[in-house]
Amino acid sequence: MASALCFVAAAPCAAASCSVESSTTTASTGLRRGLHSARVAAVVQPARSLSCGSSLAGTALQSRVCNKSVRPAGVERGTAAAVVRAVAAERVVEALEPSQTSTDQKTKYYFLVANAKFMLDDEEHFQELMQERLRNFSERNKEQNFWLAIEPKFLDKFPDIAKRLNRPAVALVSTDKVWITFMKLRMDRVLRGEYEADTLKEALASNPVELKFEKPQVWKAPYPKYEGEWWTPFLLKEAEQTAS
Amino acid sequence: MALEAGKGLSSQSSSSRMGFAPLPLRRRKSLGVSNGSRVTMMAADVVDKPKKGSKEIAKDTLLTPRFYTTDFDEMERMFNTEMNKNLNEAEFEALAAEFKTDYNQVHFVRNPEFKAAAEKLQGPLRQIFVEFLERSCTAEFSGFLLYKELGRRLKKTNPVVAEIFTLMSRDEARHAGFLNKGLSDFNLALDLGFLTKARKYTFFKPQFIFYATYLSEKIGYWRYITIYRHLKTNPEYQCYPIFKYFENWCQDENRHGDFFSALLKAQPQFLNDWQAKLWSRFFCLSVYVTMYLNDVQRTAFYEGIGLDTRKFDMHVIIETNKTTARIFPAVLDVENPVFQEKLENLVTLNKKLIAIGESKAPEALKSLQKVPVITSFVTELLAMYLMRPVDSGSLDFVDVEPQVVY
Repeated sequence: MASALCFVAAAPCAAASCSVESSTTTASTGLRRGLHSARVAAVVQPARSLSCGSSLAGTALQSRVCNKSVRPAGVERGTAAAVVRAVAAERVVEALEPSQTSTDQKTKYYFLVANAKFMLDDEEHFQELMQERLRNFSERNKEQNFWLAIEPKFLDKFPDIAKRLNRPAVALVSTDKVWITFMKLRMDRVLRGEYEADTLKEALASNPVELKFEKPQVWKAPYPKYEGEWWTPFLLKEAEQTAS
Repeated sequence: MALEAGKGLSSQSSSSRMGFAPLPLRRRKSLGVSNGSRVTMMAADVVDKPKKGSKEIAKDTLLTPRFYTTDFDEMERMFNTEMNKNLNEAEFEALAAEFKTDYNQVHFVRNPEFKAAAEKLQGPLRQIFVEFLERSCTAEFSGFLLYKELGRRLKKTNPVVAEIFTLMSRDEARHAGFLNKGLSDFNLALDLGFLTKARKYTFFKPQFIFYATYLSEKIGYWRYITIYRHLKTNPEYQCYPIFKYFENWCQDENRHGDFFSALLKAQPQFLNDWQAKLWSRFFCLSVYVTMYLNDVQRTAFYEGIGLDTRKFDMHVIIETNKTTARIFPAVLDVENPVFQEKLENLVTLNKKLIAIGESKAPEALKSLQKVPVITSFVTELLAMYLMRPVDSGSLDFVDVEPQVVY
C-alpha cells in the first residue's frame, strides 16, 4: 500500500489534460454563469430586404406579418424564383418568395463550438449521434435543422468565445434550442451561444480551411479509428452556398 | 442498462457473467439443447419457483448481477421542483425530447439470420452465447424494473423526470425483450416474471444509484460500440447477428448515461466536495474491477468473437473513465500501467479464492485458507483506490474565470 503513495500520474489522458477541477467552494448556480457569461446575444444586423426592411429588427409584429415561411430549412426548397439583391459588398440576401419580399424576420440559431480536433476527430460518439439524427430525420421526413460549420464567420460576433477557442474551430448549429441543450450536456467541453441570421447561408457562412488531423500516435482500441470526412453531409452544401 | 455494464460492487458485465450462476431459463422445446440435467419440472403457478421447465435459480455470489432498489421517498424529495431550486429543467426537458424522439423505435426487428446463426453455434461456444444472452437480458431487465418504478414514483413531484425514467424503461424493456427472443433461437427463454419476484434486490441510496447507474450505462455504451466496431472490421467473427444491432442500441445506453449526468448536476452536493470525490473513485473502482474480473474469467466468449479480453477491457475502462471525467469530480488514473498490474494481481487472487472454494477441504479449513488471500485482495484494492486520482468534472461547474481553452 505504501507503494501506492509514490505512483505519479504518468500519462495524463486527453480528458485529464483538459479537465478542470470542479470548484468545491462555490454554489453551482453561480458557477454556471461562468461559462455562460460568454453567451453573448448576437448583434442584430439591420434588415436588408427591400420592402419590409426599412425598419430595424425588433419589430416582431412586423416580422410575423411579413414573413411566414422563411425558415432556414426552407431555404433550399422554394427557390423557384429567387430574387437576389446585392447589399453589402460581398453579401447577397435571398428572398424565398418575391411576393412576400421579406427577409427581416431573423431566425434564431443556437450553437456549440470548440476546436475542430475535438469536434470532428476526438469525439467519435459525436459522429455517431449526428448520423443517428440524420437517419432519424430522413426516416421521418423531417427537414434537417442541424449543421456543422467549419470556422464559421458568426464567431466574429462573439469575441469572448472566439478568444477561448483553439483554431480552426467547428460549430454545431441548429434552430432547435432544445436539442442544442441536450448536445451541450453530452459534449460538455464546448461553448454555447445563439445568434440570428436572415438566411441559412448567412447563418452558416464560413471561412474555408482545410482540415487534416494527424493519426494518433498510440491507438489501442480493438478497431480502427473512424476515417474520412464524415462531417461533409452536415456542412451546408456547396450548391447552397453558391446559390444566388 | 447495458448488457455488459458493471453495476456497483456486485455488478456483472453481461457477456462476462459468472458462469456458475444459472438463471431461471425456461426451455421452449424439449428438443436439441444439452443441459437437460439443469431443467427442473415445476408447476408453473408456484410463486417461488420458475415456470415449468425453467432452470434453477442462480446462487448469489459477489459478482452475480443484481437488481436494485432505492429510497424512493428521498428520490421524490430530491426531484421535487418546489423543494429543489437547482433543478435544471431545461436539461431535463431536452433529455425528455431526446427520449421521445425514440431513435430506435423500429430498430429491434429480427430476421431469419438469428435462428440460422444459432443453429450453427455448437459446442462450448453455444453454451457461452446462451450465458451471454441470459446475463445481458437480466441486466437490461433489472434496468427496466428500477426505471419503471422511478417513473411511477416521481410522476407527481416531477413529471418531466418521471417521464424520462419511463421512457428509459421502455428502452430497457425493448433491449431485454430482444435478448430474450435471442434466447428463443436457442430454444430457451428467461422467465422474467419469476425473476422479478425471486431475485434479491440490493438497496442503494439514490446518491449511489446515480454513480453506479451512470457508470453502468456509459460502460455499457463503450462495451457495445467496441464490440460493434471490432466486428465491423473483422466480420469473420460475426457469429450471431445480435452484434449488428449494437451500433444503434448503444446510443440508448449513452443517452441513459447522459440523464444520470443531468441528475447529478441537479444535485451538486454529489459532485462538489471531497466526499463526492471519494465516492466517485470508489464507484469507478468497483465497476472497473468487477468487469475485469468477470471478463477475464470468461475469455472464451471474447476470444470467440475475436477479441483479446484484457485489451478489450482496458480499452473499455480507459474510455469509460474519460467519459466519466466529464461529470464525476474525480476519476482513476487508469492509464497508469500500475493500475492494470494491480488488476492482474486481483485476477490471480480471485483465482486462488475460487480454487479454495472448489477444493474438497472442510469448510472451516477453507475459510481459514481464504483469510490471507482476502487480505491481499483488499490490500490491492485499497492501493488502487489510493492511487493518485485525476481531478475532473463538468465544465458547467468550472470557476468563473474563463481560463479553459476549447
